[in-house]
Amino acid sequence: MSAIELKNVNHYFGSGSSLVHVLQDINFSANKGQLVLIIGPSGSGKSTFLTIAGGLRTASSGDVSIEGQSINQLSRKQSDQLRLAHIGFVLQSYALVPYLKVSEQLAFVDRIKPEGNLNAEELKELFAQLGIEDLVNKYPGQLSGGQRQRVAIARAVYTNPEVILADEPSAALDSDRVVKIGQLFKELAEQRDKAIVVVTHDTRLMPFADKVYEIMDGKMSLQQKL
Amino acid sequence: MYLALKEIRHEKLRYTLITAMIVLISYLIFILSGLANGLASENTQAIESWHTKSVLLNRNANVNLSQSTITKKQLAATNLTKSQAIVGQAAVVVKSSNREKESAQFIGLDKNQYIAKNLVASSGRPFRKQHEVVVDQQFKSEGYKIGDKIKFNSASSQYTIVGFTKNAKLNIAPIVYGQMAIWKKLRPFPGSQVAGSAIISKTADFAPAVKGLKQYSSPYFISKLPGYSAQNTTFAFMIGFLMVISLVVIAVFLYILTIQALPTYAVLRAQGIPGAKLVSTIINQSLILMVAGIIGGALLTAITASLIPFGVPLSFNPVMLSLITLGLVVMGIIGAALPARKIAKIDPVSVIGG
Repeated sequence: MSAIELKNVNHYFGSGSSLVHVLQDINFSANKGQLVLIIGPSGSGKSTFLTIAGGLRTASSGDVSIEGQSINQLSRKQSDQLRLAHIGFVLQSYALVPYLKVSEQLAFVDRIKPEGNLNAEELKELFAQLGIEDLVNKYPGQLSGGQRQRVAIARAVYTNPEVILADEPSAALDSDRVVKIGQLFKELAEQRDKAIVVVTHDTRLMPFADKVYEIMDGKMSLQQKL
Repeated sequence: MYLALKEIRHEKLRYTLITAMIVLISYLIFILSGLANGLASENTQAIESWHTKSVLLNRNANVNLSQSTITKKQLAATNLTKSQAIVGQAAVVVKSSNREKESAQFIGLDKNQYIAKNLVASSGRPFRKQHEVVVDQQFKSEGYKIGDKIKFNSASSQYTIVGFTKNAKLNIAPIVYGQMAIWKKLRPFPGSQVAGSAIISKTADFAPAVKGLKQYSSPYFISKLPGYSAQNTTFAFMIGFLMVISLVVIAVFLYILTIQALPTYAVLRAQGIPGAKLVSTIINQSLILMVAGIIGGALLTAITASLIPFGVPLSFNPVMLSLITLGLVVMGIIGAALPARKIAKIDPVSVIGG
């Protein structure tokens, strides 16, 4: 069973003469332990794919499932619960609350979802893996861009989701850092048994991926890995 | 509450500034309500000290004590009991050598009726003889002493202050209590058939059918005191406007903060944090700001009240203060409604685009 699967997904924006077919018959799957890339240029439909795969938007047609459970007909509340428990987001904006210290970012999650999160030992191990164990008492504003991104990854992993969706995680990073982030995602997917889906236009991440999909003008195709 | 408190602790300057504004607004509202209550009280102190439930006035006096006269014949027809007393009212200027002139209300009493009998002197004693008067405590603060000789207007007769009494103000002027004979000298009528200005009753049901007289309830009589309603309405408007201003201040402040924080809220929504949790954050912030501001305003008010000079009519009514506090808190919640609506409508897709 795939951790996340999209079957025959179509999505349209607008109506009548201004109707745009943004996603066309998308078929996609990612298993736990895999790092899957979705590569495509700006305007190809990557972000729309991410919002539909993440349960933030409902596809015009087709089916999206997480761990075999269809998410198409979920209420707003159910959708919130799904994202909180089963999907971790690593967003370009790093997804951190500016007035919460690193430790408080996670303490806040505990208040909303008290169960199923990493325990203290697992969290310590994760912080060590991400190299942020000395940053727990710092505010996001006191961190560098790379540190903020690693804290955002910790935040996404903390709820122990099956699926992690990352939006352009290597944007504005130099090649050394791209390698590091690629290795980190690969390790997280394999060691923590997550399906990590990275939406990017950065082909430098391809060597780390188990599967690469290309999306172009709303059409998705599975690329042969080199 | 967690996010609300964390943000306030992190953004101390911003939240201190807005709390300071709420402190000043609530301080102003508390002081105004104290003045409104104090002035209202100085209009009605005497009427309340007489335990007035109803008032019998001349039917043609337009519910105005100073315009009302009751004749001896009418008085005789009313069959007064122990619960009624006739009073004679006259506006006077009190003069005494080496003392400031003082505008006052003279109230003539029948020493055998309940108002005169119940008159308590806070210092000195009640009046007994025709040339003795008891005056409001305000005269004491103006330097008058027991034994001082006073005159009224340009009359030559002298009267001796034999006591001071508390809560003796009518229409904001201090009262001079004396015998009805003095009042008759102050307001001489041809033929001298006038017995007094009004009959005060401790019972609400005192309404004898006497030609030319009409009974009024105490609240109605008070509402018709010259300037009383206009003054209270003015204060009520000022307090009301300040309430609205507090609403606007809190709404604008929280709205601006919310607009600035929308990307953060959108990210939290994308992560699955329930919208209700984020809405409660903004409501809680508003409540914290209002409560902190009100406490600050109340402290400033208490300090002001302890330092304010005796003559300033500042008096607080706990019920009114409680209602104002509640009103301010409600304004805070209403003020948070607009930004809360903005948060409730956040589309988490906005953080990703697409």
